[in-house]
Amino acid sequence: MEVREIKALIALMSDHGLVELEIEDKKGKIRLVRGGVAHAVETNSVAPATAKPAARRSRAPEPSAELSRDGAAKPLELGENQRIIESPMVGTFYRASAPDAVPFVEEGATVRKGQTVCIIEAMKMMNEIEAPFAGRIVRILVENAQPVEYGQALMIMEVG
Amino acid sequence: MFKKLLVANRGTIAIRIIRACRELGIPTLSVYSTADKDALHVRMADESVCIGPPAAEDSYLSIPSILSAALTYGADAVHPGYGFLSENGDFAEACQRSGLQFVGPRARHIRLMGDKPRARRIMKRAGVPVLPGSDGKGVTELRDALADAKRLGFPVLIKAAAGGGGKGMRIVRDAKELERLFPVARAESEAAFSSRTMYLEKYLEHARHVEFQIVADNFRNVIHLGERDCSIQRRHQKVIEESPCPVLTPRLREKMGKAAVRAAEVVGYSNVGTVEFLLAPNGEFYFIEMNTRIQVEHGVTEMVTGIDLVKESIRLAQGEPLKLKQRQVTFSGSAIEFRIYAEDPDRHIPSPGIVSSHHPPGGLGVRVETALYDGYRVPVHYDPLIAKLIVHSDSRELTMVRARAALREYLVDGIRTNIPLHLKILHDPDFIRGDYSTGFLKRYEPPSNRRPVEPPAAKAS
Repeated sequence: MEVREIKALIALMSDHGLVELEIEDKKGKIRLVRGGVAHAVETNSVAPATAKPAARRSRAPEPSAELSRDGAAKPLELGENQRIIESPMVGTFYRASAPDAVPFVEEGATVRKGQTVCIIEAMKMMNEIEAPFAGRIVRILVENAQPVEYGQALMIMEVG
Repeated sequence: MFKKLLVANRGTIAIRIIRACRELGIPTLSVYSTADKDALHVRMADESVCIGPPAAEDSYLSIPSILSAALTYGADAVHPGYGFLSENGDFAEACQRSGLQFVGPRARHIRLMGDKPRARRIMKRAGVPVLPGSDGKGVTELRDALADAKRLGFPVLIKAAAGGGGKGMRIVRDAKELERLFPVARAESEAAFSSRTMYLEKYLEHARHVEFQIVADNFRNVIHLGERDCSIQRRHQKVIEESPCPVLTPRLREKMGKAAVRAAEVVGYSNVGTVEFLLAPNGEFYFIEMNTRIQVEHGVTEMVTGIDLVKESIRLAQGEPLKLKQRQVTFSGSAIEFRIYAEDPDRHIPSPGIVSSHHPPGGLGVRVETALYDGYRVPVHYDPLIAKLIVHSDSRELTMVRARAALREYLVDGIRTNIPLHLKILHDPDFIRGDYSTGFLKRYEPPSNRRPVEPPAAKAS
């Protein structure tokens, strides 16, 4: 499927308020999941398929037309057994316990449930973020020492 | 000049603060809960940060989350707006300790005025008239309340020492009613403010709620910007505010204004604030409380004085001195504000949902402060105030004519609003004459909502 076609599908989804779309034809199969909807599952710190941009910029007070469009953040491609680790607070993301220390995890690392994967510093407090289940760190989405917001996707993990 | 100002609020006041910052050239950082990701203040600020889930305790009321956002994203000032953390002394103090300038008074002034019995004592000592009421630190036990009530004579008003927004407030007309309602009011206060301390005040029949806007700098200069009559209230919640007060004579205005300035002076207050009085039909007035923040109805004063109060609050927080002397303040015309609530006008219950179309009125002297837009979903988690319509003209008569036209023009589809109630009030002969008191709105209360403990205002004492 071409990028042009995928774009058209995404536009269609947002026009009709669709959250998820799966299409199969001769050319293959595609599954699209729109972001911004992950907040429906606030009770869970691990929410599906959304990455939020760090500190959204929007210089101009554009009226409503733009508002309806931007509702969804850029979706993250997630495999079936992959989950996102979200930031439980606003703060600064650190991959290691000290500037010269070895990072808690690297991409590809296998982690136990409850193992510290990163730190969020908020109000001079170091909050250790733990792996919600045993598995593998597939991707780290945030650079070291970057500010993150509540609910922002930090890492992609694979169950298993 | 502030480098970046964090707006610790949402809705209309967040928009108002962002606009003021734009005029001053200060970059803004807005914070929001996940329920507000599509809110206008998120779009209008230069930067926005999500700080928590929908529940206010975990987002707009969470001091660590807001401070963390300010420090992480490099803000050096915090504007609290109204509601939420605006009158929380601990928040003001935490801001200062984190090196952030809190746009408002000092923490000790917030705490002092938040302790209503203490504020009463200080005002009494300073010669500002207060209503007869409980002395000392207030009462927690029913028998002390009964003793106070006997001394004052019924009817009395039960109030929460830490109160605000009408919570923990009850009018009682005899000892039996006091016995029944004192524990209820105390429980309400405990739930809302974690405080069992109450106090009693003599209840004044047919009184008007008249408040004075004051502005103070860090150098002990204090002026007032005239009054607002906020007597049109439902259950101690303001619905319509106007300036000038239709019954205030220039002499009385001067006297009350001086008392308001004195109230701020005796404590060394700084930044914007409001001194609330009850005005009796005989022209006697009494201090009720001081609000240590910008008020919802600040726009009314802005229209008649031409002074931008939100910009002023930011300027004063930057340590700038007052530019005006009292005699340089002039008042022009009449302004009335209508609070538009997302509520069923017949039953007075909230009406959240999607605003399918929003068409605000316009024209000369018509100002709309709102965070609504077409397709916006009014969340269930927060205050139902969705817009403020402020109408201004040379005379009260013309302002009312203009307001009727503007309210008829105002279209909000998809949810219900109290616009029909405003139109009814604008056709009420008593309102038109300016002849009203805090009990006015009871006549428009749906029968099922009427509280049996509060007889109609017409029953004079």
